[in-house]
Amino acid sequence: MAIKLIGFPQPPNTLRVVLTLNELDLPFEFESVTDFKTIKTEDFIANKHPFGKVPVLCDGDFVIHESRAICRYLVSKYQKDAKVVLIPDDPNKAAIVEQYLSYETSYYDPPLSKIVYQEIVNKKYGKPTDEAVVKQALEDIEKVLDIYEKVLEGKDYLTGEYSLADLLHIGYAQVIYTATAHSDIFEKRPNVKRWIDNLRNRDAFKKTYA
Amino acid sequence: MAIKLIGFPQSPFTLGVVLTLNELGLPFELDPVTDIKTIKTEDFLANKHPLVPVLYDGDFVIHESLAICRYLVSKYQNDANVLIPDDLNKSSIVEQYISYEISYYFPPLQKIIYQEMYNRRNGRPVDEAVVKQALEDIGKVLDIYEKVLEGKDYLSGEYSLADLLHIACAQFIYASTAHSDIFEKRLNVKRWIANLRNRDAFKKTYA
Repeated sequence: MAIKLIGFPQPPNTLRVVLTLNELDLPFEFESVTDFKTIKTEDFIANKHPFGKVPVLCDGDFVIHESRAICRYLVSKYQKDAKVVLIPDDPNKAAIVEQYLSYETSYYDPPLSKIVYQEIVNKKYGKPTDEAVVKQALEDIEKVLDIYEKVLEGKDYLTGEYSLADLLHIGYAQVIYTATAHSDIFEKRPNVKRWIDNLRNRDAFKKTYA
Repeated sequence: MAIKLIGFPQSPFTLGVVLTLNELGLPFELDPVTDIKTIKTEDFLANKHPLVPVLYDGDFVIHESLAICRYLVSKYQNDANVLIPDDLNKSSIVEQYISYEISYYFPPLQKIIYQEMYNRRNGRPVDEAVVKQALEDIGKVLDIYEKVLEGKDYLSGEYSLADLLHIACAQFIYASTAHSDIFEKRLNVKRWIANLRNRDAFKKTYA
């Protein structure tokens, strides 16, 4: 199999790559990491990721890491053969997708990853949840989603059409829905709720999260 | 002038866009924001983005500094100034290092900048514990950059948008803090920073 993805099976950074592979209808082999010691070996650090992190994708001889860079690589290489357009060719349309991709890393991901870290990762390793961090993060994401509520007025997707920008948002949303008690942050905003429902209704999403 | 940039002139986000414009040899007008209250006007709210920088290219409006840089590269890049290579594998490696900047490099430096620029400017105390931890964190990151840059002048071998996106925060550390040793004491990193600060576009941006 030409494409191999190495990663922990659960976290959003792996699943965003899986979702991209599925949106592009690409077959791949998944090599599941179960012990993080395996990604901190000298060999892994020298040949796969200098920070000792996953996911890493191998496409034939080509090795690439950093989940969003992997997604971009897959789009650049395989979008032309796919039924879905994840980054448009038109430079102005692509720029608007890039704007929302930047929202994801700048405003959306940081508070949600804090909540997930406190409520899921800390719990998993028997460490206490810092409720003050969760409270502040919830306040922060609520302000962000107020802006998304306006952005999504009259639109099913951030730019109007489904794109990589929407795709990269669903991973953390799904964790919040399935593993925390905070799904109301999405559910109580009608435009945001409609957007999340659209994303969770896609075939590639269902295949990824089956 | 077709291109107009609005932003805080000192902000690393604005400076990243200015550097990109200068690397691409593009003339532009910079409309400096000096007071945060001016960016909450109806015009900005109508565009649904209360933040700067914002770029106007004729009628086209785009915000988010990295999205602006990518737009400029995709529209105006030519053979003389390549910031993202056309070759797929090469561009993907550049993307990898752009991701490093967002995920590993910027967060600890942002904390130091926030404490030592923003707090100090607004007469608030600097939280030394936060600065200390952030310096430890960026130290570990730069240890890895030291290996990445072995035998290379730039992250992917050739100058790219990935290198460009790193220099604004580095320059802030050099110019406005006492922490430039984090770069200076790592030989490959020091060489890399020196290369970036020696570029014509850098000198024009920071004149």
